[in-house]
Amino acid sequence: MFISGFGYILGETLKGLYRNRWMCITSTGVVAVMLLMLGVFMLINLNIGHITDTVKEQVEIVVYIDDQADEATLSELHRMLSEHHAVAEVRYVSSGEHMERLQRQLGGMLEGYDTSLDNPLLASYEIRTVVPEEVVAMAAEFETYPGVSTVFYGQGYVENLFAVTRVLQMVGLALMAGLSITAVFLISHTIKLTVMMRNKEIAIMKYVGATNWFIRWPFLLEGLLLGFAGAVLPIVALYYIYQFSVDWVIANNLVFLNLLPVQLVIVELAKYLVPLGTGLGVLGSTFSMGRFLKV
Amino acid sequence: MAKISTILELCKICTGRSDCMVEAKNMCMKYEKGGRFALENINFFIDRGEFVFFVGSSGAGKSTLLKLIIRELRPSDGTLKVFNRDISRLPRHRLPYLRRNIGMVFQDFRLMEERTAYDNVAFAMIVIGASRKEIRKRIPHVLGLVGLQEKAKARVCDLSGGEQQRVSLARAIANRPALIIADEPTGNLDPGTALDIMNLLRSINMRGTTIMVATHNRDIVDRFKKRVLYLENGKLVGDEQKGIYTNVH
Repeated sequence: MFISGFGYILGETLKGLYRNRWMCITSTGVVAVMLLMLGVFMLINLNIGHITDTVKEQVEIVVYIDDQADEATLSELHRMLSEHHAVAEVRYVSSGEHMERLQRQLGGMLEGYDTSLDNPLLASYEIRTVVPEEVVAMAAEFETYPGVSTVFYGQGYVENLFAVTRVLQMVGLALMAGLSITAVFLISHTIKLTVMMRNKEIAIMKYVGATNWFIRWPFLLEGLLLGFAGAVLPIVALYYIYQFSVDWVIANNLVFLNLLPVQLVIVELAKYLVPLGTGLGVLGSTFSMGRFLKV
Repeated sequence: MAKISTILELCKICTGRSDCMVEAKNMCMKYEKGGRFALENINFFIDRGEFVFFVGSSGAGKSTLLKLIIRELRPSDGTLKVFNRDISRLPRHRLPYLRRNIGMVFQDFRLMEERTAYDNVAFAMIVIGASRKEIRKRIPHVLGLVGLQEKAKARVCDLSGGEQQRVSLARAIANRPALIIADEPTGNLDPGTALDIMNLLRSINMRGTTIMVATHNRDIVDRFKKRVLYLENGKLVGDEQKGIYTNVH
């Protein structure tokens, strides 16, 4: 029974796909288009996240040291900064080093100026934080430390950066959620249409004594295959689209667009889209059949 | 088949009567609560091997009665026993096993039209888990019985109405059911083809299968002189052995 039943179910699945090939192509197309759109948003969102993370990593706090502070105060300040739980890295920059940087930035404009005699620039600590979003609070805290002259972290710019990235991520997530819900509705309705076209067949199966699972299996397998095909097609398309985009960014020397590597992104997409596509196919078939099985 | 014979043996022991195929006791059926009766206070007993016509005008309750027997519907009141089992209490998951012992023939044939005659008959056997060898052996025999051995590979949609009903009959008898239910089996057929189908049912009956036919084909009922149960407005108003449509009416 099992072998002939299993053989039958497998055969019926393939025959069903062939017999209803146009409907199947339509279903797969709908799944593929919806998942392609979802995939594009995922790609954009992943890369926005990556770019903003990269930018955030460059955000740092510069603690300028009071030039009147004695050695003991300075070593206490260094200890306090280094031992702070939210500090990832502390780097000391002497006033001489600051002057060298300034000379580099201004080109030859400071030529002839004797920096060893009169350097007005203050020495500083450059601090990278574990969580970039905490710089504002940490800067306020560092201002109270002994031996600190001023604290700079790109006031105004950093707050704007964080606000923009938050909005971008929320918009991306909202779009993805909206698109996922639309995809679920569209796909389940398309599969429902496929099942409805075969309701007569299902009723006949019930009349001759087929169990619900005997009837369900071919439809579930069909749904699974349709969902799988509908997920793989956009992944392949997105691979080529994304590869093209990365090549274009490199060719145009847009270095500030630090895109994620192709393989990494495609694996991430596959992890999400394949289970979603096959799951939708199976669930769509299951829910669509319920009404017809009550004969 | 062993299962059916066990059921029939049990039937004999329990009832003390001969083999109970279908028995209705004070059975009522309403489609809606508070609505009118589709069937009211129905009582009958059908023995093994009987050939019974259910007659009556449209809306009399013939099809409702047959739907109750295959448990497509449940009685609102009273009991309905099929193979001596009260099927209104049959759990849903046991339904397929009940239906495997009942062959069904419909006015609109209810065949898978894009598939061949062979596939349609084979389907009924696959469902019950018959082996490929068994199916290959049985189907030519069954199609031969209904005179369709030459059309085994023809798609159902390419067959005539009479041929399609023969396929439907072949499917109904493929698993050697103890009971065959036919709902207006000749409704879509010309008189000559209708008679052929009824003759086939009679020959199946002569091999021991119980046959229940719902029809309003007066000529057929009168010609066959079998037991006739007459339904009118949901009530059983007549039950005659060797009856004719006109007499009962």
